[in-house]
Amino acid sequence: MNSRGQLLGLCVLMVILAIGPLLISSGRWIEFLELTLFVAVLGQGWNVLAGYGGQYSFGHAVFFGTGAYIQALLQFKFGWNPWVAMWFAMSGTTLIAAGIGYLSFRYGLRGSYFALITLAFAEAFHVLARSLDSITEGGRGVQLSLNQDPSQAIAEFQFNFAGPFLKTYGFYYTIFIILLITYLLTWLMSNSRFGAQLIAVRENEEAAMALGIDAFRVKMKAICLSAIITSSAGVYYVQKFLFIEPGIAYGPAKSVEALFAPIIGGLGTIVGPLLGSFFIHGVGEVAKEVIVYFVGDRPGVDLIFFGMILILVLAFLPRGLYGLLEMLWLRLRGKHNA
Amino acid sequence: MSKKINIQSRRQFIKTISAGTAIAATGIAGFPLIARAASPVKVGIVHPVTGWAQYSGSQCRFGAMMALEEINAAGGIKSLGGAMLEAVLGDAQSKAEVGAAEVEKFNEAGVSAIVGAYASNICLATTQAAAKHGIPHVVDVGVNDKIVGRGLENTFRFGPGFGIITKAGADSFLAINKAAGSPTKRVAIVHENTTGFGAGIAGLMTKALQPDGIDVVEVLPHPTPNKDFRNIALKLKEIDPDVVIPSHYYNEGVLFLRTLQRQKVQPKAIYSVLGGASSQYRFVKEFPEAAQYVIDCNHWFDPKNKDALAVRRKTEAAGKHFNYEVFLAYTAMKFTADAIERAGSADRGKITEAMAGSNWSGHIMPYGPTKMENGQNIGARPLVTQVQGDEIVVVSPSEYADTKAVFPRPA
Repeated sequence: MNSRGQLLGLCVLMVILAIGPLLISSGRWIEFLELTLFVAVLGQGWNVLAGYGGQYSFGHAVFFGTGAYIQALLQFKFGWNPWVAMWFAMSGTTLIAAGIGYLSFRYGLRGSYFALITLAFAEAFHVLARSLDSITEGGRGVQLSLNQDPSQAIAEFQFNFAGPFLKTYGFYYTIFIILLITYLLTWLMSNSRFGAQLIAVRENEEAAMALGIDAFRVKMKAICLSAIITSSAGVYYVQKFLFIEPGIAYGPAKSVEALFAPIIGGLGTIVGPLLGSFFIHGVGEVAKEVIVYFVGDRPGVDLIFFGMILILVLAFLPRGLYGLLEMLWLRLRGKHNA
Repeated sequence: MSKKINIQSRRQFIKTISAGTAIAATGIAGFPLIARAASPVKVGIVHPVTGWAQYSGSQCRFGAMMALEEINAAGGIKSLGGAMLEAVLGDAQSKAEVGAAEVEKFNEAGVSAIVGAYASNICLATTQAAAKHGIPHVVDVGVNDKIVGRGLENTFRFGPGFGIITKAGADSFLAINKAAGSPTKRVAIVHENTTGFGAGIAGLMTKALQPDGIDVVEVLPHPTPNKDFRNIALKLKEIDPDVVIPSHYYNEGVLFLRTLQRQKVQPKAIYSVLGGASSQYRFVKEFPEAAQYVIDCNHWFDPKNKDALAVRRKTEAAGKHFNYEVFLAYTAMKFTADAIERAGSADRGKITEAMAGSNWSGHIMPYGPTKMENGQNIGARPLVTQVQGDEIVVVSPSEYADTKAVFPRPA
């Protein structure tokens, strides 16, 4: 499917995601969609660097966590407005990403070496967040004060005690808008000169350099864009839960979530992370309901079921769900033309 | 004859109709009440039953379910005509955001109250999500003081937070040390620093001990999970403190105490504050030598309460270990049921009011009559226990003590 086809598919998905929740009043399913979109944003951050650029990171939590910590600390320590803090959170994370990228790419780290160095950085930030007590509040974490005044809901970027609409849909549309912007950015990138250069670097770095592409510069741009996207998920997380601690910010869970969605959905595609996230959460939820229906509440059994499906997807769909959809689409079109 | 019969029949008929109408009227008026009263009251029970906190979360779920089944077996909620409590179970998967999503599920299921959610970070998310829908939420374990310090009217904690526990821990330590002739002066604190509780306790303990002439010679943090305590054991061997004060979760507690035993680190006392493993029957049973004489200031039941001992027997008969997760969740569920009973309604607002004004005293904890202030039961307190032989005994405060502390421990 060409880029225009992908954009068309993405537009249809976005329209459904924009209107769909208004048709369902179920808080449970809105929460489900919110979590799905949150992981889809995390996944797109990883996808830009790994899917398009071929730089597989195992420590993307470093960008999520840093964005979340800056967003939380600027409010907690200095009383900044969250709408102002978010720009500094994303810029600060971009600077950190530039530092990590410079140290890694400058010394030619690729493949598993790059994966390991990103893992090491995430762990180093985990230790720093726990140890720099006077700055990060250490293991206690940062707890933001809760606004219970509905008239201040928008100003405080907290919708738990807002009016009926914002209370139900406030955070859903926050993550939806973040998703919309980040996916648009990814589409623009993939259709730009920079996107083509990034894909060339992914395919064969030496050949790309021989063609005059500055691979270092391209990879630096990619890691910075990836960090901006991932840190926006961190900003959302802090505003939604008003709490961040080292384990949540820099623990391995977020790094794994970030890479699972695009790998399952389709690496190096715009809609891949969204498809993957829907699949992960959808299958998880369905598995849970099926297990409860047939054998009662058996915690963890749904995870075994989910794991089996995951293995099947990885074994038989090397190009992810996007590859499957593309294949089905081509077959349908072939039949239609015949 | 037939006329007479007819008259009699008419009178009988009128009498019968009158009686029938009266019964029917009572029935019609009463039936909806009975029907409404008999419909079950749903309670959401959320814990991390998968993920890193799986063991503790499962223990909590067991405790809460045991209490719920007892209440139902005893006739349910009397003020609601014997309405049964119906559990709506949730798994937070050891993640705060999943815990919050489970609350949305509960809201949709129409729960009247929520009990949970073990870990402090999950409790922060679930109480906040519950507040959005005005659902009363009873925190069973989460000791972070911020959980009840945010002005959320729906949030209650029946047990103590780490502020109360640390103060009691420091006071009891100073008292035990003084009673033994002050044999210990140098203390090392070993604490987890990945989540809020360990780091919070370390800071508060340092502040509480130093004014009384106890020298905190070293504070050694470690992450959760942690797979190796050899470096910390070697460091402790080097600085040779009189007392080691550990504070961490169960797995790390077991590994830490076993490492001290293997590395032959033998301080005069191991005095845990929320030690994770230090007052767990499972640990005492599996590693009796490593557990010997370890003191712990932690959540504990009233050892002189017959009901508490019955709950312990019941837990052990079910093949479970009777630890703090079990009895705290058990008590949190009983507190919730008592509030529903007092409220005489399944309405969330009325139950919240009943919780806020509760003076419940029929529990198994050493807390006295309940008194909530800003959501915290101010009577809640920890007890100080020590492993002596194959039993965990209470050594402080004196009104609950089974025996005196062995302090310092024999070499």
